[in-house]
Amino acid sequence: MKFRALMQDPLYMKEFQAIVATLTKLAKDCVMILGSRQMHFIVNEDQSSSASPLVWAGIAAEEYFPEYRMEAAHPEQEYIVLGVSSANLGRALSVLRGGGVNSCKLKLQRIQFPCISVIASVLTSSSTEAREVVHDVPVTIIPCSDWSAYVVPRVPPSQLALGLPSLRLLKSLIDKLKNISPSLEFQANLDGELNVIATSEMSTVTSRFQKLLIRTVAGSQREASCSVDSRKASAFFGALQLPNEELSIGIDREHSIHLQIDVRQDVVLHSILPAVCM
Amino acid sequence: MADVEPSPYGDCKFVARVEHIKTLTQAIKSICFNDYGMLQVSEDGLRITVEQGKSIQATLFMPPGAFMEFRVQDFQCFGLKMNVLSECLNLFGSADCSLRMMYKDKGDPLRIILYPHDDDDVSTECAIKTMDCDEPIDYDQNLKDPDLNVIFVRGPNLSKVFHELEKSAEEFEFVTSPNRPHFKITTVGIMQAVFSVEVAKTSPMMMMFNCKQTVVARYKSQQIRITNKAMQSATKVAIKTNSVGLLELHLVMQGDSQEEIFIQFFIIPLLNTD
Repeated sequence: MKFRALMQDPLYMKEFQAIVATLTKLAKDCVMILGSRQMHFIVNEDQSSSASPLVWAGIAAEEYFPEYRMEAAHPEQEYIVLGVSSANLGRALSVLRGGGVNSCKLKLQRIQFPCISVIASVLTSSSTEAREVVHDVPVTIIPCSDWSAYVVPRVPPSQLALGLPSLRLLKSLIDKLKNISPSLEFQANLDGELNVIATSEMSTVTSRFQKLLIRTVAGSQREASCSVDSRKASAFFGALQLPNEELSIGIDREHSIHLQIDVRQDVVLHSILPAVCM
Repeated sequence: MADVEPSPYGDCKFVARVEHIKTLTQAIKSICFNDYGMLQVSEDGLRITVEQGKSIQATLFMPPGAFMEFRVQDFQCFGLKMNVLSECLNLFGSADCSLRMMYKDKGDPLRIILYPHDDDDVSTECAIKTMDCDEPIDYDQNLKDPDLNVIFVRGPNLSKVFHELEKSAEEFEFVTSPNRPHFKITTVGIMQAVFSVEVAKTSPMMMMFNCKQTVVARYKSQQIRITNKAMQSATKVAIKTNSVGLLELHLVMQGDSQEEIFIQFFIIPLLNTD
């Protein structure tokens, strides 16, 4: 079993760190699925948390890693699946947040325990020589027999998906709306309008977003709506550490809401908020 | 701003628009000391009254001139929850918004729509449940006396004076008089320490001083402190008291576009029990 990857671009290193930092805010533990050409991170895959949503990130290896090599435990296997503490991994990558990092290597090793070594080459202001900052992040190697529990979630089919150019206002609204009602109804229609509705005994609050881009239309109906847990929705937005403003919202009527942030081509953050009864 | 409804004002008994909600939001926050508020609208303007027992009352008043648009049919009066109203005005945080208010008829919700100035494609509407309206106590009639003590003070200065007073004290004693001390507030704190602030009528903090009689009265400090939030945003305050010490604090809050919102507090004095 071998895994080794190298990052050298300062922008990509910052983005990679921001993705992991986002996951750190969502859950204590995280699953890493290392494929031959793609890397996935998943949090809350069993949806057992009532407060934190299912979130996963898919990263095409060639986007961030000029060097990327994965060899599974057995030749027929396609992945290495690891369990890791998001906090530990986040801490190890935090050095990438500031500038002055030449490169960052990720290496699967077994020292006294299996771990991912995060080796950052940092330029110090005082000397021209780079120094190495090493964090050995313990991992659990998940055997092939358990992989069925750690499958990359499938993007649910949306009857209607809209593109929100800036998630800033939606994020701060949801942060307030969660105190008004435990559930939020998202309504999208073919006029490019999104309504987010919180209903309580004393008030009904309807937030309207207009002139949104229509990303997906399936079926003949003009509108689609779904109610979700407001705390989960707020947790997703509250966790975001990425600079991206654009957000895609897809509604699978009565089933779920799919949130998608395209960090860049082939680097995508997803979340699924399941439907709740109003 | 996008007009979403086909005929916005057709069947509404009250319709109003405010260009910048900052001052109104501050004013409402400053009178949220109790949950139930009484809203009264007439040709004279909009009034929102909050009371706590028979000891303190605050009324926010916005004349028609403070609105971009103000239209009302007859006299409308209903109750609502103040924290819901305040929450609604804060939905876009500190972002500058304009507001539209609509009320159809008795039993219907008060609809408030916020439009952030920096984003034309977003708006939020709150439909706030209304309740039957109680009649607020009329304290004004007790302060029509020609022998009233009236003092006009600069708002931020008075706020500072209140702030300097002993925080642990349960009662404040106010003295207003044509003779010295012209204006004095005394508190008795823990360990019976006496602390007082005295302001002469010649102080630059005084904009007008017209006291006809010496009035000494005590008030619960908790109630005086209720006026704090409003005091900090006020440009000027009129302090009025009659011979029994009924205290009126009438404040003016001024918005950036010079629109004025008034808040009137009435505080009942503590009666001597000896």
